[in-house]
Amino acid sequence: MSEDLKTKVQELIDSMINPAVAGHGGFVELVDVQDNRVYLQMGGGCQGCGAADITLKQGIERLIKEEIPEVAEVLDATDHSAGTNPYYTAGKA
Amino acid sequence: MSPSAGRLLLLLPTTTYRTEAFVAAAGKLGVELVCASERPSTFEPLAPDSLVTLDFTDPGASAETIATFARRRPLDAVVGVDDLTTVVAAAISERLGLKANSLPAVSIARDKHAMRRRLAEAGVPVPRFQRLLLSDDLGARADEIAYPCILKPISLSASRGVIRANDAREFVAAAHRISAILETVGVSLPVEARRALLVEEFIPGAEVALEGLLVGGTLHALALFDKPDPLDGPFFEETIYVTPSRLPADMQARIAAVTRDACSALGLTEGPIHAELRLNERGPFVLEVAARSIGGLCSRTLTFGTGLSLEELILSHALGRPLESLERERRATGVMMIPIPRAGRLAAVHGTAEAAAVESIDEVTITMHPGQDVVPLPEGWQYLGFIFARADTPDAVEHALRTAHARLRFDIE
Repeated sequence: MSEDLKTKVQELIDSMINPAVAGHGGFVELVDVQDNRVYLQMGGGCQGCGAADITLKQGIERLIKEEIPEVAEVLDATDHSAGTNPYYTAGKA
Repeated sequence: MSPSAGRLLLLLPTTTYRTEAFVAAAGKLGVELVCASERPSTFEPLAPDSLVTLDFTDPGASAETIATFARRRPLDAVVGVDDLTTVVAAAISERLGLKANSLPAVSIARDKHAMRRRLAEAGVPVPRFQRLLLSDDLGARADEIAYPCILKPISLSASRGVIRANDAREFVAAAHRISAILETVGVSLPVEARRALLVEEFIPGAEVALEGLLVGGTLHALALFDKPDPLDGPFFEETIYVTPSRLPADMQARIAAVTRDACSALGLTEGPIHAELRLNERGPFVLEVAARSIGGLCSRTLTFGTGLSLEELILSHALGRPLESLERERRATGVMMIPIPRAGRLAAVHGTAEAAAVESIDEVTITMHPGQDVVPLPEGWQYLGFIFARADTPDAVEHALRTAHARLRFDIE
């Protein structure tokens, strides 16, 4: 079951998610699927990006849950502090 | 997610520190989010029901865009997470007929000169002030000023561009320096905010910050933060915030009362406020009341009731949900916004683990990345990171923050 899910998620990452985040120099890697929870790592422009949470929850998670309804949650396993080229950097208003 | 959980529009500038906390709060509360930023997300074409691009500098156009969106996807509340979005949030709320601060009230609070004028008219204690047009004869204006004074932009926040001048020469230099900062900030500011400054009396004394929540016009003081590092200039870098305050109870009550009067004078009635006040033997003076919550990652110091975050309170209030508790946890907490010591490029950070190992330290978060250009105040707009502490007393929190900071070393080339 988990392997099936992994395959489906990986296909979605390859076909839709990575082409989308590539626009900001980013990429997403599947780390694992456990108990219908998908663990992802973000890299490139997404790693350390100020908008990474929006991308993950409003973009990636919604898309995955829409396409693969058995997925319960998408979680970010990225070390954002190690990002060296984030697309957006946080600062004071 | 239940359809009855509520759908909320969150206005998130791409540069805000506040995204993670608000998105996490929405997740915990089961709120369906629609996120709007000033620049498009790469996912917007794939998720048009949850991602929107708005021009935050044009509240009217943003309100119309969202009115169209809301006909398809009705919204129950709108929350702007920081200074850049408070006015837009009010404009959208007004357009949709949602409960929120009025647009005029928020607009006044966003303009430091208009705010001073309104507060002074209402008898709320504020520093003596005047507006300075950058097109004025600065030399002539400098001769009219009482020193020391403070020059500050009308619409920037977190001490950016705030400079003390002790004489006419420093006054003119400060005005030119702030003018250059405003040039770099450019179009994200209203036109008026790009061509004028606020000049005000320097009020000696301690500074505090009050975090509050307005509910139906009643101000609930959520936390009063001491700022133990002196803020005497020439720049006003915020570093340590510690709560609860160590001030005498009667002074704390006066601070809350003056802040309440200020909110009332401005016409703010709903949602978070962040107030900054100066204190001396003449009492508290209001420096600012912003219609937003505390900035940076500082809200991590605050938990309420059974562990609710500040953002959970804000979103719950915006959706009209009952508020479980506004009582802050009993322990003392604090944060250090790690200052940028000098300009350059961040090459490496050392000592993070050693700093995190200091007793009472909860977390050390470095938010700038290696290779990033670092710019100190008054031009700067970022922190190197944040240190968080929690202990039995405010003194212990402050000590832990200073000890942890001393263990950090930043290589800036």
